[in-house]
Amino acid sequence: MHSFEFMEPTTLAEALRLLATHEDDACVFAGGTALLLAMRQRMMVPEIVVSLGRLHDLRTIGWTPAGGLRIGALARHGDVARSELVQQHYPMLAGVAAGLANPQVRNQATIGGNLCYADPATDPPSCLIAMGAEVTIAGPDGERRIPMRTFSVDFFTTALEPGEILTGILLPPPDPQRLGHYRRHLRTAAEHRPVANVALTARRVGSAWDEVRLVVGAATPSPQSMTRAEAYLAGRAITLDVAAEAASLVAEELAPISDGRGDAAFRRQVVRAATRRIVAEAAGLDWKETAA
Amino acid sequence: MSGHKLSLVVNGERVEADVPSNRLLSEFLRDDLALTGTKRGCETGVCGACSVLVDGDVVKSCLSLAVQMNGREITTVEGLGRVGALHPLQQQFMEKGGLQCGYCTPGFLMAAVDLLKRNPNPDDAEIREGLSGNLCRCTGYQGIVDAIRSTAEAGHGA
Amino acid sequence: MTVSVVGQPMPQVSAQEKVQGRAVYAGDIKMAGMLHAKLLRSPHAHARILSIDTSAAEALPGVKVVVTGDDVPRRRWGVHHKQQNVLACGLVRFVGEEVAAVVATTEAVAQDALELIRIEYEELPAVLDIDAALSEGAVPVHPEGNVVDEINIARGDVEAGFAAADIVHEEVYTTHSQYPGYMEPMATVAATDGNGRLTVWTSTQSVFLARQRLAEALDRPISSIRVIQATVGGGFGAKIVEERSSVIAAFLATKVDRPVRLNLSRLDDIQSGCFSVPMRIRLKMGMTRDGTITAKDVTIEAECGAYAGLSPEVMLVTAMRSDNMQRLENVRSHARMIHTHTMPRGAFRGFGGTQMSFALNSHMSTMADMLGMDPFDLHRRNAIRTGDLSVHGWEIGSCGLPECLDQVSTALDWTARRARNTRCGVLRRGVGMAAVMHVSGNRTMGNWDGSTVVLKVNEDGRVVILTAESDMGQGANTMLTQICAQELGIPVSHVTVQAPDTDNSPYCLGSLASRVTINAGNAMLGAARQARSQILEAAAQKLGCEAADLTIADGVVHSGKNPNLFAPLPEICRYHIFRHGGEGILVRHTHDPKTVMMNKEHYGNIAPAYSFAAQALEVEVDTETGQVRVVETYLSDDCGKAINPLTVHGQSAGAAVQAVGWTLYEELQMEGGRVMNGNLADYTMPTAEAVPTMHSDIVETDEPNGPLGAKGASETAILPGAPAIANAVYDAIGVRITDLPITPEKILAALAAKEQPHA
Repeated sequence: MHSFEFMEPTTLAEALRLLATHEDDACVFAGGTALLLAMRQRMMVPEIVVSLGRLHDLRTIGWTPAGGLRIGALARHGDVARSELVQQHYPMLAGVAAGLANPQVRNQATIGGNLCYADPATDPPSCLIAMGAEVTIAGPDGERRIPMRTFSVDFFTTALEPGEILTGILLPPPDPQRLGHYRRHLRTAAEHRPVANVALTARRVGSAWDEVRLVVGAATPSPQSMTRAEAYLAGRAITLDVAAEAASLVAEELAPISDGRGDAAFRRQVVRAATRRIVAEAAGLDWKETAA
Repeated sequence: MSGHKLSLVVNGERVEADVPSNRLLSEFLRDDLALTGTKRGCETGVCGACSVLVDGDVVKSCLSLAVQMNGREITTVEGLGRVGALHPLQQQFMEKGGLQCGYCTPGFLMAAVDLLKRNPNPDDAEIREGLSGNLCRCTGYQGIVDAIRSTAEAGHGA
Repeated sequence: MTVSVVGQPMPQVSAQEKVQGRAVYAGDIKMAGMLHAKLLRSPHAHARILSIDTSAAEALPGVKVVVTGDDVPRRRWGVHHKQQNVLACGLVRFVGEEVAAVVATTEAVAQDALELIRIEYEELPAVLDIDAALSEGAVPVHPEGNVVDEINIARGDVEAGFAAADIVHEEVYTTHSQYPGYMEPMATVAATDGNGRLTVWTSTQSVFLARQRLAEALDRPISSIRVIQATVGGGFGAKIVEERSSVIAAFLATKVDRPVRLNLSRLDDIQSGCFSVPMRIRLKMGMTRDGTITAKDVTIEAECGAYAGLSPEVMLVTAMRSDNMQRLENVRSHARMIHTHTMPRGAFRGFGGTQMSFALNSHMSTMADMLGMDPFDLHRRNAIRTGDLSVHGWEIGSCGLPECLDQVSTALDWTARRARNTRCGVLRRGVGMAAVMHVSGNRTMGNWDGSTVVLKVNEDGRVVILTAESDMGQGANTMLTQICAQELGIPVSHVTVQAPDTDNSPYCLGSLASRVTINAGNAMLGAARQARSQILEAAAQKLGCEAADLTIADGVVHSGKNPNLFAPLPEICRYHIFRHGGEGILVRHTHDPKTVMMNKEHYGNIAPAYSFAAQALEVEVDTETGQVRVVETYLSDDCGKAINPLTVHGQSAGAAVQAVGWTLYEELQMEGGRVMNGNLADYTMPTAEAVPTMHSDIVETDEPNGPLGAKGASETAILPGAPAIANAVYDAIGVRITDLPITPEKILAALAAKEQPHA
C-alpha cells in the first residue's frame, strides 16, 4: 500500500477543516474495511487519510418516541444489530445489520462508511430507503438533512459534496401499523455479497396496504424504488396472484447491472422471485406452494 | 511517510511502537511483533486467517491499520492459551478434528471466541453463521463445528 | 500388548502446536539479512518479449537485484516434457507467466520496483481453448504442436459388446478447472551458505521431487541443494512437482547470495495456475436389460494450458481408472492432452478421477432410469469384488464397494426419500448417489513406489522417526506415530516425526497418489518391529531370559513367564548403547510394494491396494432462482483399517466439501486468457454456511497388502460429490446438467427449455 498521512481529528469541526484544507488529496476513513481494500488495490491513492475514529459522539445510537432513531454514522453494523433500541423498535434494520457480511466485518465496518462508499453489492441502503430514513450531513456551512433515497446516486457515488461528512441516519418514529420485510439473495450459498435484495414496508389499512415502499438493492447501480409495483400494491388485498403480478411489474421496471456474479437477465429473474416472496411473506402467505 | 507512536496492549503485555501509517495490523503483528500465528491468506478480507480480537471483538487484521490500534487491547492466537493451559476451544479443536493443515486455525479460534462470547449456546446454524467470515479448505468445517458445539456444551461458552 | 493405539481416534500430532499458532510455515520464517522477492507476470496470453528495461527498478533504493529470462539457466525443466525455464525466456505463453523478479529489502519496495520495469511485448495470436487449439492452422503453443499427449487403450471387443447390448447411451460431459484453494498461498525461503550450498524451506508435498526440480531448473548438482519442508498449509496436489515459485525463489537466493523469501499473494497464487485439468468427455456405454455393462467407449479432450506438468498422467487416470471399479470386458479409451495459451493445469486431489467420476456416475444413473432400475442396484450388479482381476490387470485385494453402497443408501433412507419426490412446488428436493475408486500408491514416478523409514530410539526409550513422506495436514505423521507407538508399546507422546529434509531423511516420493499410508505405513511397521526385536534381544541379554518370552507395554519390557523379570525401556535402551560393541538403536526399513509399472498397453497391477467410496445425498433446488443446496449427505469410505478414524472422517468431510465447491460454487472466470475472479471474494469456495453437516462412515475392509490392513483414505472422498449432486438435481427437477459447474443460470435455462421443448 502506498504511504499517506493519517490524521485523527478529535472534533467534527477539526475533521471538516482538514477536508477543506486538503480538498481532493484527502479522504475520510471510518471503519476502513472497504477503503483499505481500495487503497491496497490502488483504486484509491489519497495522500491524506482523515480518520473519524476519535469522533466518539458519532458512534452513539439514540431514540426518542417523538423523534425516532438517530444512528451515528460511525456505529458499526454489529452495534446496530445488537442495539436493544434498534431490535425493539426497528427489527427489520436490526436483522439486516445482523446478517450483513460476516462477524468480523460487522465488528469493523460502520453504517456511515457503508453508505458513503456506495458499493451497490450491499444491504443497508435499500433497507433504509424503504424505512423512510434521512441522513444528516455536516459541511463547511453547517448541517443539512436529506432523504436517504436521494443520498445514493450511482455506482460508488453519493450526494455528498466535497468536504462534507455523513454524520448520522435518522429513522422516523416506529409506526405500529407499518410492516417491514427484507430479503437478500446470494447467487449461491457460498457468495459473500448479495446479488440482489428487496426491502418492503407498508402501512396496514384493514386487510390492505397503503404507503407502500418497495426498494431493490444490489441488483442496480444504486437502490431503485419500484414505483409501479408500489402503486399497484397500494389499496389491494394481497393474494399470491397479486404478489406474482407485483413481481412482474418489478421485473419490468428494474434496470439491472451485469457483472461477474450475474448478468442483467439473471438479476431480473432473481429480483422477480424475491419480490413475489417478500410480498407473500408480508401478507402471511406461503410462497413455496406455487411457482410464479 | 509519517511515523505514529502507538501504545497498546497485546496479549496482556503493553507494547509501545512507532509505525508508518500504511502498516496493516496484520503486518504489525507478524513482522514487527513476530506474532506469526496470525496468518495471511487472501489480503482481501475474505479468508479470515488474520482474525484477532480487538477489545474483545473479532476483526480481520488485514482490514485494519496498526495506527487505529492506539489505546486498544489486542488478543492474538498466541494469547489464547499455552501448553498446559490451553483454551477450551483449542483443546476441543484438537480433539474433534477441528484442524488439519492448521493455517486457518488461529483465525477460526478467534472467531469462535467472539461467537461464544455473544452466544454461549449456539445451535449448528448459528455456529456456521458465526464462522462465515473464515475459510477452511481441509476440514469441510465439520470438525470445527463439532469442536465449538462441544465447547459450548461443556459450559465454556460464556 | 498395551491398549490398541491403531484404530483409535486421536488428535493429530501437529494439532497442539497448530492451535497455538506456533507451527512454522515458510512465510513465517525470518532469517538474518533476509530479502524479499516479488514477481512480475505477463499481461498477455501469447507474446514475444522484445525488450525489458529494468534500470529504473534497479535504481530504486532498497532494490538488490532485478532478474529476467536473460539471467536464468537455459536448461529447461518439467515432469516429462521439459518446457519451462525459471522465468519466461523470450516468449510468454499465458497471462500470469513470470517474466521478471525483484529482490529488495522489503516486500513493499519490491512491489514498487515491479511497476518500474518496462517491457515491450509483441502480442501474438493465442489459442485460448481446446477447440481453438485443435483448429486447422492453430498457432502452436510449443513447436511440437498442441497435442502434447495421446492415449489409446482397448480391451476385449467393444463393437461386439455394443452389439450385445439392449440399450446404448452416449453423452458428452464437460468438467471445469478447480483452484486447489489451500489456505496458505505458496511461500518459500531460500538461502545459500558460505560453501555455495543452497537450502530451501518451502511448502511442498515432496522434498525430494522439489530438489529434483530445483536441480534441473537451476542446472546444478542435486546434492548442492537441500530442501526442508516447512509446515504445509494444504496442498491438494498442487504442491507435488508443478508449482514454480519455489524454483524462482531458490534461483533468486543464488543471485543475491542472501536469504530470500517469496510469499505469493493470493492473486499471484491463482495466476500461477495450479488448477485442475478441465476435460470434455464423450462416454458411450451399452448394457443388457439386467444392467450388465457390455461395452464402454470413452473419448477425452483435456486442456493442460501452457505447460504439461503432470497433466498427461492425470489424463491417463481419467482414461482408465474407473474401468477397474466394475467387472468389464470391453472397454476403449482415446484421450488427448491439449496445450492452450492459458495457465498450466495439473495434479489435483483425485488426480483425474473426479472428471471421469462425473461422467460415469451421471451415465450410470441415466441408464438405470432407462432400465427402470435403482442406480444402487445397477452399481451393485457391476461392482468389482475382492479377489477380482480387473480389465486392466489390477489385483483387487480388498473391496468394500458393496458395503459402502449399503451404508450410504441406508443412512440416507434412499428408497423412502426417492419415492417421496413429487417434483412440484417452488423448492424441490431430489436424491442422488455415486460410487468411485482410487489407487493407494502408483509407480508412475520412475517405476518405484517404495518408502523408507529410519527409526532412532533414544536412550530414554523415546523415538525419532525420519521420513520424507509429507504431512500437509492430512495426518501422515499421526498415522506413522500410531503404528510406531503400538508396535513399540510406548505412548504416542514418546514419538517424534521429523520434518522431511533431503539431507537427513531417507529418499521418499512424498504425498501423492494416496500412497503414504500403505507404503510408508508398511515401512514404519517394519522399522518398528525391527527396533522392537533389537530391544527385546538386549533385554533378554540383560535379564537373562529368552527374547521370545518378553514383551513391551507402557514403556516397560517384561517377561510373560516370570512377573519378576522386567525392566523399564530406558534402562534397556541405555544398555543397548553402553556396553562393549554397543550402539544406539537405529534401524531402517524399506517397503517396496510388489506392484508393476503398467506396460505399453497400460496393463498391469500398478498399486498395492485400491480404495472405494460411495456417497448419497439430497439436494434442494430453488426453481425460481436456480440455487442448489446440498441438504443432507452421507459418504462411506473403504479405506481398509482406519488407523485414525478422526483423520479419516476429517479427510472425508473436507474432500466432500471440496467436491461441493467444484460442483456448485467455484468457477474460474477467464476473458482473453485473463483470470477475472482472481480473489477469494469472487472465486467462491464453500463457507461453513454453504454446506450441511458432512456425515461420513468407514468401511473397514482388511487389505492384505496394507499395514495392519490399512490403505489410502484421503482422495477417494472427493470423487463422488459432483455426480451425486447432478443426479440429485435430475431427481429433483428432471433436468440433467452435463457441464460443470451447476450454476443457477444453467438450472434456470434448463428449466425454461424443459417447459418450452420446441422453443
